[in-house]
This record gives sequence, C-alpha cells and structure tokens, in this order.
Amino acid sequence: MIEVKELKKSFGALEVLKGVTFGVDKGEVVVVLGPSGSGKSTVLRCLNLLEDYEGGEIRIDGAVIGYRTNANGQRVACHEAEKAKLREQVGMVFQSFNLFPHRTALDNVMMGPLRVRGAARKEARTLALELLGKVGLADKADEYPIRLSGGQQQRVAIARSLAMQPKVMLFDEVTSALDPELVGEVLRVIRQLAQEGMTMVIVTHEIPFARDVSDRVLFVDGGVIVEQGPPSKVIADPSSDRLKLFLRRYQGDYLVA
Amino acid sequence: MDYAAQTAILLKGLFPKLLEGFTVTLRVGLVSMALALVLSVLLLGPRLSKNRLIRLPTEAYIELMRNTPLLLQIYMIYFGLPLLGFFPSEFVCGVVGIALQHAAFLVEILRGGIESISQRQWEAARAIGMRRLAAVRYVILPQTFLRVLGPLGNQLIIIVKDTSLVSAIGVMELTMVGKVSIERSAVSIEIFAAIAVFYLVLTSVLGGALRIAERHTAARF
Amino acid sequence: MLNTLLANLPYLLKGAVVTLWLSLIVVTFGTLLGVIVGLCANVGGRLVQALVTTYVFVLRGIPVLVVMLLGYYAFPALGFRANAYLAVGVAQVIYIGAFVAEIVRSAVLSVPAGQIAAAKSLGMLRIGILRHVVLPQAARIAVPPLLNNSLTAIKQTSYVSVVGAWELTYAAREIVERTLAAFQIFLGVMAIYFLICYPLSLLARWCEKRLLVAH
Repeated sequence: MIEVKELKKSFGALEVLKGVTFGVDKGEVVVVLGPSGSGKSTVLRCLNLLEDYEGGEIRIDGAVIGYRTNANGQRVACHEAEKAKLREQVGMVFQSFNLFPHRTALDNVMMGPLRVRGAARKEARTLALELLGKVGLADKADEYPIRLSGGQQQRVAIARSLAMQPKVMLFDEVTSALDPELVGEVLRVIRQLAQEGMTMVIVTHEIPFARDVSDRVLFVDGGVIVEQGPPSKVIADPSSDRLKLFLRRYQGDYLVA
Repeated sequence: MDYAAQTAILLKGLFPKLLEGFTVTLRVGLVSMALALVLSVLLLGPRLSKNRLIRLPTEAYIELMRNTPLLLQIYMIYFGLPLLGFFPSEFVCGVVGIALQHAAFLVEILRGGIESISQRQWEAARAIGMRRLAAVRYVILPQTFLRVLGPLGNQLIIIVKDTSLVSAIGVMELTMVGKVSIERSAVSIEIFAAIAVFYLVLTSVLGGALRIAERHTAARF
Repeated sequence: MLNTLLANLPYLLKGAVVTLWLSLIVVTFGTLLGVIVGLCANVGGRLVQALVTTYVFVLRGIPVLVVMLLGYYAFPALGFRANAYLAVGVAQVIYIGAFVAEIVRSAVLSVPAGQIAAAKSLGMLRIGILRHVVLPQAARIAVPPLLNNSLTAIKQTSYVSVVGAWELTYAAREIVERTLAAFQIFLGVMAIYFLICYPLSLLARWCEKRLLVAH
C-alpha cells in the first residue's frame, strides 16, 4: 500500500533523510524506532505531505504523492489542494495532541467530516459519538480540551483522525508527552486499532509496546534505515551495534547517552 | 422654584430628544463596529502576506490611520466625496470614517492574536485534510478572536465613544443634541452632564458585557 | 495640483504651532496629574483608592469631546471668564490624567510580588522599596503605554476645533470651506499630523521592544 524509495529530505543545509526505502502492506503495523534527530518523525511527516521531500518517491496505492511529472519530465510539486486530498486518506496523530481548544471534544471529532467532507451535521455527530465511545470517552463529549487529561486529549485526537476514515494512520510519538500513568490508555486504543486491521506507521519509544503490536520494526539512525525486520528479530536480537546501543537504554541502562 | 426642581423639569423636557440622540449614537456605533470588524478581517490577510507589494501598502495604511486624527478623516470624507460626485449622508460619512480608522487598530490587535496561535494548530487542521480557507475559518480565526477578546472589546468601546465626533458634521447623535439644545436654554452643564451619564451607562454596560464574555471564554483556554 | 495647499501653507503651519503647544501643555500636565493620582491610588487607603477608581471610571467612560464641552461651558457657568483654550485645555488635562493614572497604577501593581518580598527580606523599609525597587521597574513598564497615550492626546487636540478653539484642524476646515479643495488641504494636514506623530509612534514601539527584552 505504501512504497517509499530512496526518500531524501533536507532542511536547508542539513540533510535529514539520506535515502530511506521501505514498504507497508495493507493491514500491517510498522514501528519506527530511532534516536532523536535520526529523521524518524520526518519520514512520517513526508508520508502525509506535511513536509515536502526532495529526493526519491513515495507511492500510496501505486500513485506518487506530493509531485507530478510535467510534460518535460520534470518534477513539479503538487498544489496544497491535492495534498489536502491526500491527508483525508492518511491520518496523523501528534505528540502534542493539537486539539482545537475552542471546540468541545465532540466538535473536534466532528470537524473533519463536517467541514472537510461536507457531511450532514446529524451524520457527523453520530459518527463522532461512536468514535468517542470507541476510545472510551463518550461521557466527555461536551468537555473542552482544557478540562481533559493528556491521555484523554490524545484519545480524542485519535478519534478525530479516525473520523475521516483514513486508509492509513500515522502516529508521531503520541505518548512521549504524557505522564507515565496515562500512557497505557492511549496504547490500548492503538492496539485495538491494530487488531481491527488498520494500516499504521508508528514512531514511538515504547519498546515493549512495539514488540507486542508491530508486524515489522524499522530502526532509523542518521537519516537511513539501519535495520528492519520482525520485532522478534530486531528487538530481541539486534544485529547492528547502533541498534544494540539504542536498546540498552530501555533495558535498564539509563545512563546510555 | 429652586435650582433642583428647575433643572429636573428642563431635563425631563429634553429627555425625549436625548433618547433620540442616544439611539442615533447606538446606530452609528453598531454600524461602525460591524464595518470596522469586517474591514479588519479582510485586511488581515494582506497585512500578513509575504508578498511585499501587498503587505507594504497595508502597513502604510495602518500607520497613516494610527498617526492622524479621526476628525480629519471624517472631514475629508464629508468634504471630499461631493467633489468626486458622491453625496453620501452625514451618517454614512461618519460611519465610514470611524470604520476606516478603527479597522487599522483592529487589524493590529488581530495580528497579535493570530501570531500567538501555535503552528501546531495549522498542522492539526491540515492533518485532517483541511484546506487553507477552511483552516482559517474554523480553526485559526475563531481562536484568534477568542484570544484577543479583551483588547478587541476595548477597541469597540472606543468606537462607541468616537461616535461623538460625527457631531462635527451634523449627525444628530447624542453629543449633537446637546450642542443644539444649549442654544435654547440657559443650563449648559446640566445638559452635558446628563449626556455624560448616557455615555457612561452605555460604556459601563458594554464593559460589563465584555468582562462576562472574557470570563466565559477563559474557561476554554 | 497642490496650489491651494501651498498657498495656504503658512496659515496651516501657524495652526500646527498652536497644535504643538496645546499638545505639549496637555501631555505634560496631564501626565503629571495622572502620575500623582496613580501613585496616590497605589499607596493610599481604601478611600483614596475608591476616589481614584471613580475618577478613572467616569472619565474613561465618556467621550473626550463631551468632557471638553463640559469644560467649555463649566467656566462661564461657574462665573469665570476663561478663553476657549484654557477651558478645553483643563478639560483635556483632566481627561488624560485619568488614563495616565490607570497606566501608572497598574504598572506599579504589575511589578512582581517577588521583587517586593526580596527587598523586604533585605531589610528595606517601605519608602526604600518604593523608591529603589518598585518605581524604577514600574516606570519601565509604564513608558510604552504612556508614550502611546501621549500620541492619542496629540491627536485629540484636533477635537478642540469642534468646540471652537483654533488650531490646525480648525484652520484646515476654514480653508476647505472657503476653497473647497478638500483633498489637497486635508491630505496636507494629515501629512503634518503624521510628521508630528510618527516619530513618537516609532519611539513607543522601540521602547516596547527594548523594555520587553530587559524583562
């Protein structure tokens, strides 16, 4: 479903992605691990075109996203309108939740169907209530984000993305900003989605969770994929030294840099 | 008859006229406010544009309005438009003058609000497939207004006070009623004191409403 | 195209001088009055505070034009013979004073409480704290709004023309009513006001930036 070939991305003079290649099948859950600055978030943000990419290509369902080739064979960036259309299919949940503070939880979830899809209010409302129920927050529908805990806000954010009924869901370190006791409720929702067959690409630091939920793990460091494979191999028995070093931290050696 | 009784009778007689003037003040105020707000939202885009050709004239306009008195602008419209063949009423001249001046201040207030909104809100809106216009309309602009409710409301109250200036071109609002009535009676301070009370009531009510609105929306942020 | 404007420029410039004088006097005395009243509110008891609050509330709730008209008719009504300038000048000073008082009062209040606590724990007395810790910081906070307020005051001197006192705007209107060259004259006068006000505007913004950084 998703094919990434030799993805290259620079921020000014800094080359963050130096040729990333991987694929994601329908229904697969891929976890991306890596130290900070490795480019893992950037990969995600290229997948839903929040960032443009300079080199390589990304295909979703066979079609190249983000660019068109014009008559002269040159690459031309897509208009914002086309990118927006793509984002209806590729949902993203952020580390800082980014709920709309001026609307209730229910309004937040309804925002996509109502204002992007143009659905009727009643229909949008029903769908929104259903999704809030699915993430366990039906009773908080009329609360404003400021009154919700971090974990609750993040679950509303997930419901908001799901309301667009995307083909793929991207999760960008969605538990990193949460207090530890709130992490579980969010991971539970993500796991449920995985079990229901949603195609997902997850950037996370939660190693046990990654081992449990993912079909495949990618380890990104210095802008390239250093190792990839099933979790049983990559996490339990890493081949590369860099990955071994990275994982040591999660195995109790908290002084690892 | 003693002073108090005399004054009371006089003011009672004047009251209908004062009330009429008050309604005109309200009308001028409301229309000016609405026009100024609409103008300010329309100017917000150009003000923030990265294109210098669009942004600089807007900035120049704002600077001009900030550094010249409202009275002059009202005069210019009132005396100038007939020269161009337009003959709008005094009401229209006054309203347009006030709106043009205050739109400039409102744009700056809105700009402050919009710049304080995190980039992440834009990202969240785009992430669910919103285009620029939808994001601005449903996510950015509502938050902007809610954030600058205080300064915005204060500016609107200033607009209400500035309506008194249109008396200079003959609009029969509250202050004008006072000026006209002076000629007919010996009591002058009392009339303007009464007028002052009218304004005070108006601005107090508006100020109170503003504070209630602020408290209400603070609950969301 | 600018004939009428140029022909009447001397007359207008005389008006500009009057405007400048008026502005200077009003801003100086108004600010002085406001600072005194504002500080009284900060150090005074409940009664003083109530009086100041009322003063500020009333003056800020009515248009400056009405205050000027009150002043204009107050003098003769009370038996004094005063010229128009004195009357509207006093009215404006009282008006500006209210705004300055509020600026000063809230500037003093917005000095962080921690500053006062720190000063106290060094053994400073109330007067000393006021003089060395609170006022310097309050002054810093108050300068940008005071500058903006002065800007407003200068623009407001144009309103005295409505009451009948002669200054730049009055002169402009006279000329336009006579020559009908509305755009020329009014745009020219706007330019004059702009020249007077813009530097102050820039100063206010520069101060805002400088003083924000220090905090």
